[in-house]
Amino acid sequence: MMVSNSGPDAASRAALRSLMQRLPGMSAVEGGSIEPTMSSDPPLLRSAKIVEGSSLRVVTVPDFTRHTVSGFGAFLDGTQQVRLVAHHFGMPVVFGTVAAGVRIRVSRRLITWGHQPPRVERKIYLPLRYLPPLAEIRGPSREMASGNWEIVDTSTADKEGEYPSQHPAVLQERATRAVDRERDRVEDSLAEAWCARAEAPLYIDGGISRSERVASSSCAIGVIKSHRTLYFDGHEVSKVLGLRKGERTSVFRVSPRSRNSVLSWYLRLRDGAGRDAMWGLVRVEVAESDRPAERAEEVSRWVLAETTPLSLPDGRWDKMAYGVRDCEEFLRAIS
Amino acid sequence: MSEALGRVVATERKPNTPHEFHFWTAIDSPVGIGTIVRVDGAQPIEGQIPHIYGIVVEGFSYTDLQSPMHDVLGHDGSPTAAGFASTERAEIRLYTAAVLRQIPEEPLQPVPMGQVFLAEEEDVQVALRMDSYLRDGANTGIPIGVYRAGGTDAVIYLDADFLLGPEAAHLNITGVSGLATKTSAVEWLLASLFKHFPDEKGSIAAVCFNVKGPDLCYLDQPGKIEGSDEILYEKLGVEPRPFESVEYFAPYTAKGLVLNTFRNNEALLDNVTPLTWGLREVLQFAEVLLNKDDVDAKADALIDFIKENIVDREFSDPLLQKKHTVQSFADLDAWFRDVLQGMEKKDGDSWRTHHVATIRKVRNRLSNISTRCAGLVTDTGNVSDLPFGSFADRTVYVVDVANLEEDAQDLIFARIVSKLREHLERRDLGVKHLVVFVDELNKYAPGDGPDTYVRKMLLDIAERGRYLGLVLFGAQQFRSQVHRRVVGNSGTGLFGRMDPDELSTPGYAVLSPATRTKLATLEKGQLMIRHPHFTQPIFVRFPRPAVMQGREGSERYPQSSEISLEAAILRVLRPLDSTITLPWVQEITALYTPDEVIRARNATLLARPENVKAYFAAQFRKVIPAQPAQRPMVGSIKSAPENDPYGF
Repeated sequence: MMVSNSGPDAASRAALRSLMQRLPGMSAVEGGSIEPTMSSDPPLLRSAKIVEGSSLRVVTVPDFTRHTVSGFGAFLDGTQQVRLVAHHFGMPVVFGTVAAGVRIRVSRRLITWGHQPPRVERKIYLPLRYLPPLAEIRGPSREMASGNWEIVDTSTADKEGEYPSQHPAVLQERATRAVDRERDRVEDSLAEAWCARAEAPLYIDGGISRSERVASSSCAIGVIKSHRTLYFDGHEVSKVLGLRKGERTSVFRVSPRSRNSVLSWYLRLRDGAGRDAMWGLVRVEVAESDRPAERAEEVSRWVLAETTPLSLPDGRWDKMAYGVRDCEEFLRAIS
Repeated sequence: MSEALGRVVATERKPNTPHEFHFWTAIDSPVGIGTIVRVDGAQPIEGQIPHIYGIVVEGFSYTDLQSPMHDVLGHDGSPTAAGFASTERAEIRLYTAAVLRQIPEEPLQPVPMGQVFLAEEEDVQVALRMDSYLRDGANTGIPIGVYRAGGTDAVIYLDADFLLGPEAAHLNITGVSGLATKTSAVEWLLASLFKHFPDEKGSIAAVCFNVKGPDLCYLDQPGKIEGSDEILYEKLGVEPRPFESVEYFAPYTAKGLVLNTFRNNEALLDNVTPLTWGLREVLQFAEVLLNKDDVDAKADALIDFIKENIVDREFSDPLLQKKHTVQSFADLDAWFRDVLQGMEKKDGDSWRTHHVATIRKVRNRLSNISTRCAGLVTDTGNVSDLPFGSFADRTVYVVDVANLEEDAQDLIFARIVSKLREHLERRDLGVKHLVVFVDELNKYAPGDGPDTYVRKMLLDIAERGRYLGLVLFGAQQFRSQVHRRVVGNSGTGLFGRMDPDELSTPGYAVLSPATRTKLATLEKGQLMIRHPHFTQPIFVRFPRPAVMQGREGSERYPQSSEISLEAAILRVLRPLDSTITLPWVQEITALYTPDEVIRARNATLLARPENVKAYFAAQFRKVIPAQPAQRPMVGSIKSAPENDPYGF
């Protein structure tokens, strides 16, 4: 997942002008990029059920050499851009753009998947409850309509029926989370489309448990780079963080409450000596399997094979496959 | 319509201009340096979609790799491991193209974003503005070669009005030696000119000075061409045949027995004519042979006096013992001898204001000419020359000076070009347009060094020849060393494979580094062309000339070495009369000196009489057959003289 903080493009500026016509008194904001919400999520330790053996073990991935051929046929990733573009007497006006795409590998080169075009969606996030009614646009301006800018209300009531406070930070966070959900949605829709065709194993940047169809597909493999939630605790955490290059943990089952159950394991992609404990550490998610150990060994070899070429200069190059970086660069170019 | 092969891109750092643009292509696209492309703009300008034609002058390739070190790290320092990576890095082919033409031409704007297409044959014609002279009614296109790129084969035409005048004229060829580029290109271009030069523009011929090697000596003999060349010939509309009409001219060797040319094999002598000049022809161009250190104002005045009052006139003077009619170097030497003897008798220092030292000096220098140019200059005054006044259409006249001394080469060049110019001015040369091909312009028209007569002549042709129909096709290895006004006046430039040192000279700074590199690695049969209609240089292929190459010719028709006097006479007379035999020649010439025999041969060749035998025999003075002299009767001394000091 990539978060871009680049300045407004021509379409955004046109949409902003149109919005200012409909919402007199609005003040534009320069350079109002918003940080992703993940930084505010608290780090967690969570338990998981081991399905390979009875206790968490460290396993060296067998038969991996530099000649190992990766089985992945494609890569999926999504991006999002969130910008505070204006405020109306303090009420935040946020523009969000999400994009997702699948890049398939043909003759060792990556090209865009032809069956499902990449998705790019732009929306405006407004706390309508705290704003005056939007005026009708007079004259020929149809820029908002032509730019496919949909308006999302960030001031709706939650499950308990409570409305968010008028604090700009709360409304801004609501907008950001809404953009996150949009990105998850477009990524999931593409992943589902891929799994429906079941052409080849798909490397998904992130987890696969959100969508039932994806979580149950043998051709979807999720690779998670961030570890805000660490499974296991106590000495088992030490085993996870002490993995050496080319080692994995036993397979365990991840069953989030609101998501689908998948198999998972930790895998160290690069030698972490002299680095922090998370250096080169990824968690892999696959669908349930009758032979989890064999599946873990096979997929681990593929993931390790994707460590070249390096995805530098991206700062996450220790965990990021080059195909994922290619996806992000592609989405950056089109969104 | 073909598929787009690229897209125009522009960034703030690399913006497009009205003269240059950038585009990217797929990695496997057939674009390369020299490829002509067409850009279709997206937005109409004044109701017309702009089309921009460009030629690729630079190419870039790079990946998303930020530092080479990242690749090293990614493959653990093992180059072989890189081949096993699952994915190739994203890679770009980015090209820079120079604009050849924009349509519409006004307003001239920076090249817009748009799709890029490979130029097809019609696009090439428009891009190079060839449509203006290939349209119905114009038809002045002269095929020079085929432009090839990505399956497009387009004939490239030069505009005859800009190659042979009157608009622009002259052609200059540069290339390293040994790749047969320069000579081959000229041979091919002459064949194309003779085939395609429009009839309504009049007749055309060529005079080629063969200054080195045998390459121009077999233009009438068929050469080997390959299948690929035949395809090119067909595409270019020229029959792969040697020249139908070629005339060779060469002086004799110093001994005067055989012609001093690579083409003196008996089997090829039927269209080889001796080139011999007498005193009159040489004196007109005395300054070519006499440098300014030799000839001061006083000597110059005496030479003028001789030219005006002595040569071809009956001259008498009280100082002289007899009347003189000077028609040859021998006559002139006799005249000098008479003058000097007369001055000695009178014990005078000067004659007719000319000091005796000046007279001796001029005698020395002029007499020396016949020695320095032996074989070309005859003592007798016999002249055998190019057919000035009766030049034939589509004929090549080759003057072989390859084996001559530098002085003789200069003299031949200066006189022939002067005569050509005179006749063209009078419109009585026989043809309306004449191409003069001179190789080694480095030597004959150098950018530095003394201001020689030959260089002045070449400058004159380059600057004023086109008004007369006299066109210079010059060639050299180092263009940078040729006089700027000679190359600068050449409307058309051809470049074969170039020497890298030459390419580093300022004259090539206008070319992109990629174009210069391509020039340094051109294959045989490839040329880069500059022509007034083309706003950028174009790369073309031309076919191998359908004439015998010098090396093959010299192997098949070996050069004759010096032969006996009788054999030499037989060799030149037999083509005139096939009944002449060696015994007959031996019988006729037995009593005469070699000079007399050669004089008779030259006279016969010049006259080309019907009865060759009789004419040749009549050239010899009557010689009474030798009879044994009777021993004179010696009488005995009857008595010794009285005052005999030795008497006893």
